[in-house]
This record gives sequence, structure tokens and C-alpha cells, in this order.
Amino acid sequence: MTASQIRFFALVRREVNRFFKIKRQTLGAPLLETFLYISVFGAALGTRIDTLQGVDYVVFIIPGLILMAWAINAFSNNSSSILQQKFQRAIDDQLSSPASPMQLLLAFSLGGFLRGMIVATLTFIASSILVGIPVENVHVLLPALFLVGFFFSQLGVLVGVRAEQFDDVSFAQTFVLQPLIFLGGVFYSASLLPEPFQTLTHFDPVYYMISLVRYGFLGISEVNVPLSLLVLTLATLTLFMVNHRLFVRGYKLRA
Amino acid sequence: MRALDITDLVKRYPTGTEALRGISLSIETGEFFGLLGPNGAGKSTLIHCSTGLAQPTAGSIEIFGNDAIDHYEEARLAVGLAPQDLNLDWFLTAEETLDYHGGYFGMPKRERRERTKELLDAFSLTEKRNDRTRTLSGGMKRRLILARALMHRPRLLILDEPTAGVDVELRLELWRYVQQINDEGTTILLTTHYLEEAERLCDRIAFIYDGQIVAQGTSQELASEFGAASLEDAYLELVGRMELSRAKPEEIAP
Repeated sequence: MTASQIRFFALVRREVNRFFKIKRQTLGAPLLETFLYISVFGAALGTRIDTLQGVDYVVFIIPGLILMAWAINAFSNNSSSILQQKFQRAIDDQLSSPASPMQLLLAFSLGGFLRGMIVATLTFIASSILVGIPVENVHVLLPALFLVGFFFSQLGVLVGVRAEQFDDVSFAQTFVLQPLIFLGGVFYSASLLPEPFQTLTHFDPVYYMISLVRYGFLGISEVNVPLSLLVLTLATLTLFMVNHRLFVRGYKLRA
Repeated sequence: MRALDITDLVKRYPTGTEALRGISLSIETGEFFGLLGPNGAGKSTLIHCSTGLAQPTAGSIEIFGNDAIDHYEEARLAVGLAPQDLNLDWFLTAEETLDYHGGYFGMPKRERRERTKELLDAFSLTEKRNDRTRTLSGGMKRRLILARALMHRPRLLILDEPTAGVDVELRLELWRYVQQINDEGTTILLTTHYLEEAERLCDRIAFIYDGQIVAQGTSQELASEFGAASLEDAYLELVGRMELSRAKPEEIAP
């Protein structure tokens, strides 16, 4: 390995090591939360709803839960990790190393991305065993999930870099991210909503992400799949470029 | 070759505060150089600009002939920083702290393992190697920070007030460490406001005040320049004059 590769690998290892050291909080709690959603909404409420768009309700909600697990874990990991390190000034060890802004950004991004992927994969495996979940369009599912994971990783980095106190991170997660995800149609189909809520849902970007992932798993979609993938790709790239610019400038990282 | 060569360095914060006002400073290879000044004089800002933790507004910084601002990779490889704050990562053990730092500087695994063992032994931290850093005592944290700065075998070691707030025993221990490191060939830049520390350790000393280098030389040269009996008297004389004439420090040279 070259020195640059060793450096990048060490930066990523640090991020992964962090969430494994507090795995009850970073992996256990999100898994439990997801299973509670499946139990409460799927098993309990699902007995009353029966089917949605031709599939069992519990199966209908699982793609959204997998997306939610990946998105929230990617976001919260990166925002918390960066803010904690800024707070302790431990981040100075990485910032004063020869690592480039690109290496730093990618390493911070991958921490949350991998944590989200682990939680989402475990959720998928358990769901497959418990209720059996199909994968109808893997060629859409994989890019959609990877893009969603990377998008929320970038969002976490952005909020972590900008944040000056822990309240800033929890505000973004509680008052922005979670409402967008919940109202994006994790637990229902937007087509069931009365107006104006049905139209308003179309302004929620997470609605398109959930629809893509649901199409990947179940083969049903309420949106234009190629267009949604394209827009998601562009949005993720834009966010990545914004973050890269911030890392080059050292915005709220270097004095 | 000069270990550190700073020319016309300016650091202006977005608030408009000018922390460094055109500083020029050179440190020769192998030197033990002291930077003395009161709080807020610009010592830490100068160090942060040299190590990439702050972005200079103007001027140039070269470390062993390599640009430290734009094409910084070689320059940063040559520098080890022991900051004033105990900025250890709470999630890591003492051993991991050194291992990751070595990784950030591109050291291969075997070299990291050997160097980590060597430093843990040298700084009497072997027994605590698996303890998380937040559980270490203040003295141990201070030693670990110095060990971390040395992990990648820097040619220039920057110590930002390494003995601030430590007890006398640890201070003497740290002095022994850094003196030995310097004797082995590492160039050292030490910032402190302990005059005794600077006088005892440093080959040359610069006084920094209000973002400017206002005097430099050996402690004897500084004392004689200010017509004082000791470095302490010279420093007090200088600070007294500066306080009387804050606006135009260039006008009060002896």
C-alpha cells in the first residue's frame, strides 16, 4: 500500500472503530427501533390494513424502513462524529496530517455510510427470514440504496461541519430529517392521502427515494424511476461538491 | 537548511482581528527555539498556521524547504505537533491513539507497531496501553500527546505550552524528554510563557507581542539588548514598554 492509501485507510478505520466501540448505541438501538416499527406497524396495524398496492402491508413498509435505517444512521453517525471531534479538538490530529481535503471528506462520509449499510443489511436479512421480502429490480435497488446512503452521509458531514453545539445536530435530525422521512411515505402510499397532502408529498425529496427503493424491492412505483435516479445522483454529487469546497476552505474546521 | 522559514506572515480572522501582523522568523535545523509572549500575543496562531490548523491570510511558510500552505504534504510529514490542549480522541485507547496517528502519516503497519511499543515504553505508558484516553490522568495525557507528536519521527517538533498547568515533577520529566529529543537531532519550536523554561531549554528565543516578533536572540543577547540582568527582566521590560505603547510597537526598540 502507498502512504496515501495507508492514510486514507487509517482515517476510515478511525470512523468505523468509533461506531463499533459504542455498538449498543450505534448498531443495537437502530436495529431494535426498526424491529419495533415492523412489529407495531406491520404486525399490529397490518392486520387491519391487509394489503397496499397489492402487497402485504408489512412487506410494503419494509423497503421504507430499510431506507430509513440507512439514511438516519448515515446522517447521525457523521454529524455526531465530526461535531464530537471538533468539540474535543481531536480532529486537529487528522487536520494537521498530510491528508487531503478529499481524503478527509471521503473518510468521514464512509463512516456513516458503512454504519447505515450494516444496519440496513441486518434489517433486510431479518425481514427476509421473518416475512420474506422480494427483490424485483436489483439493478435499481442497489444504486438507489447506495445513492441514498451516500446522500445522507454527505448531509451528516455538512451538518457536523456547520454545527457548533449538539443542539444543532439534534435539531436537524428531529425537526428536518425525521419529518421528511416519515412524511415521505415510509408507512403508507402517498396516493392514499387526501389533497393537498398528496401534492405536498411530491415536494418531499425523500418521497422519491422511498419510491425508488420500493420499486427495487417490490417492483411497484409511483414515480418516474429513471428521472428520480438521475435527480438523486445529481443531488448527491452537488452535496458532495459543496462539502468538498468546505473542506478545501477549512470552513469551521480550520481557523 | 532552515527547519522553519516564515516570511511576512499575516493572519486576519473574519472578525477583522489581526492575530499575526507580518511575522518573519527562521529556525535552523537542530535548533531549540523558544517563542515567548503573553496570552493572545499570537504564539498559537503562528503554530496553527505552520501546521495547517489555521489558514494564513498572507505570507509564506516553508518547512525544510517545502511549502507548508498550498503543497503541504512533505511539510506536514516533517512536523510533529504537541498542542496546548489535551485534544485526545476519547474513543481511542493509548495504543490506538499512536497507531492511528502513524496511519494518518502513512506509516506501514509493522513500523507503526514497533514505534508504538517504543514510545509507550519511553513515556511509561505501556501498562495503560489498552485504557481509553479519557480515563488517563492529566500527566499521562500530556505524555501521550508528546508521544503522539513523535510517532511519525518528525524532524521539527512543535510544542505549544507543553508544561502549562502541569506539576513540577512532570515538568522536569518533560524537560528531560524534549532535551533528549533535541540532542538526538530533532529541531524544536517551543512556545511558553515560563521564562525559566525558555532560558533553560532554548538556544534562541523570540519575543512575540501583539502579532509581531519584537526581539530575538539568545537569552544573554536579549538581556543585554534590553539592558537587563536576566531574560525575565528583559521580558518584563519589553512587555512594560509595549503596554505603554501598544499602538506602535516598532517605535520602542531599545
